[in-house]
Amino acid sequence: MRKYFPVDELARDQRFNQVTMRDRMADPRSVLSDRPESAGARRGSNRLVPSRPDASGAARALMHGIFVGEIQALEGAGRTCHDFRTAGDSARRDQDESAGLPPGDISDAIPFALKLDMARQAWDEARHVEISVKLSDWMGGEIGEFAENTVLFQAACSTDPVLRLAGVNRALEGLAIDVFTTMKEFGDLAGDPFLEFCEDWMLADEVTHVKMGSDWLRRVTENDPDRRKAALEFQAVVDKLFSYGGTRSDSQESPIGLARRFRELAGFTDAEVEGIAEVSLAALNERKASVAKMQAAAQQFTDA
Amino acid sequence: VADPYKPRAPFAPWDRRELPGLFDVEESARRVGNYKWAEMRLFEALGGWVATVPELDVKMRLGTHCYKHAWHAELWHKRLPELREMNPDRLTQPANDALVRFVEAMTEPEGPDQTIEKLVGVYRVYIPHFIAAYTFHRNNTSQITDAPTIRTINFILQDEFDDWRDGEMLLQSLIETNDEVDRAAAHQARLEKLMIEAGGIAGPGSIGMPAANKPNGALAGGAA
Repeated sequence: MRKYFPVDELARDQRFNQVTMRDRMADPRSVLSDRPESAGARRGSNRLVPSRPDASGAARALMHGIFVGEIQALEGAGRTCHDFRTAGDSARRDQDESAGLPPGDISDAIPFALKLDMARQAWDEARHVEISVKLSDWMGGEIGEFAENTVLFQAACSTDPVLRLAGVNRALEGLAIDVFTTMKEFGDLAGDPFLEFCEDWMLADEVTHVKMGSDWLRRVTENDPDRRKAALEFQAVVDKLFSYGGTRSDSQESPIGLARRFRELAGFTDAEVEGIAEVSLAALNERKASVAKMQAAAQQFTDA
Repeated sequence: VADPYKPRAPFAPWDRRELPGLFDVEESARRVGNYKWAEMRLFEALGGWVATVPELDVKMRLGTHCYKHAWHAELWHKRLPELREMNPDRLTQPANDALVRFVEAMTEPEGPDQTIEKLVGVYRVYIPHFIAAYTFHRNNTSQITDAPTIRTINFILQDEFDDWRDGEMLLQSLIETNDEVDRAAAHQARLEKLMIEAGGIAGPGSIGMPAANKPNGALAGGAA
């Protein structure tokens, strides 16, 4: 088995369709719709709530997104168990040979306890796949009904384990905290205790995963400020990528809110939460400006 | 009311545990180091394979089992200092080079069309050998002096049996044709031969050895 696994070879059955981030956001069934104000929705709010006329479809789309995201999180955690060895383990001759490394090279070694955490995360993510596939079914969805965006696994492909912690455990699992909080509230408002119950359990796991990422990032880079800086920059890039279009922000115009309290529990500092809030809001404003520009162009075309 | 000061036997009549055991501290520690190494290779392989299998149910099972074997490695890691090995990495070693070659061969399949080979290696060869080595250790070490190892083995064996059952049932559900039966059998035979060369998870003597080769220092009053 190779040391690193390319994202375009992720194994899926025939029901799955993989697309780019841009393609996914262009899907009109996306949770972030540019729908006009309509009955039942509060003016100026795009938050995913049951009163939205498209709530059923949007919630199913989001649940499918959670489902495929959990698969990739499972795969990413599993790969981190495999791709890096622990100190003292020199018995990977085939892998060293195929990677062009000297036999017994342990320059990529990570702490044993970090690997154990990643294995634990793999089990948690496997349960999340089980939960989300059952919830999807409960909500009337089907596997493959929506496309799969593989950007999460891409963040788990870095050859530096610290970047994986920053990109996956802190940025993407941090987003999962926001998503699960929103879905839990959705379940509460919709009077769906089944959904609320499951999201609450998954939320507890995600806080644990983000805290793992926060703790390990600090410990592993304790004496390496440059590596820590690079990791946090990578996290910011992933955070921005996942704020694409303003899907997640403090604004009610975003379908998904920023779960500040749970982020604090997971080891984010106040400054880090503020930073994510700013990036998310900027992304939302960028999207609004882009939509306004397109509407103006369309109006010009109509007038002509 | 019974007299609380009446002398009682230190061992209750139903407590048949015996003091002698086949392994001294060093031998038990060596085996535990081998177990830790072998469990680590297993959880790493299972984790790595998750992304390579298209079958969703298999993918989820591999992720679940990955953690269980990591936990086993952690239990052995914690046991080593209790067996006077203060640097657990020193004894976290393969039993021999043949076992390294076995692991390399077991982890060789990567393609999405090789799920049968992946599962055969783990659930029809590697895990059955874990069950054998653990059972031998549990049944032959001192039931009193090495009780902590026995307790750990009992926890682990429960997982091993559960996982073996899961894996075997997945295999039975995947193998549908005569060709697939042959593929599974051929891969199992190839790996089993390497495991025979290794002598088992803890090397020769994993499930016993000729009386003449018993480790020094052991009190072989029990079964050999």
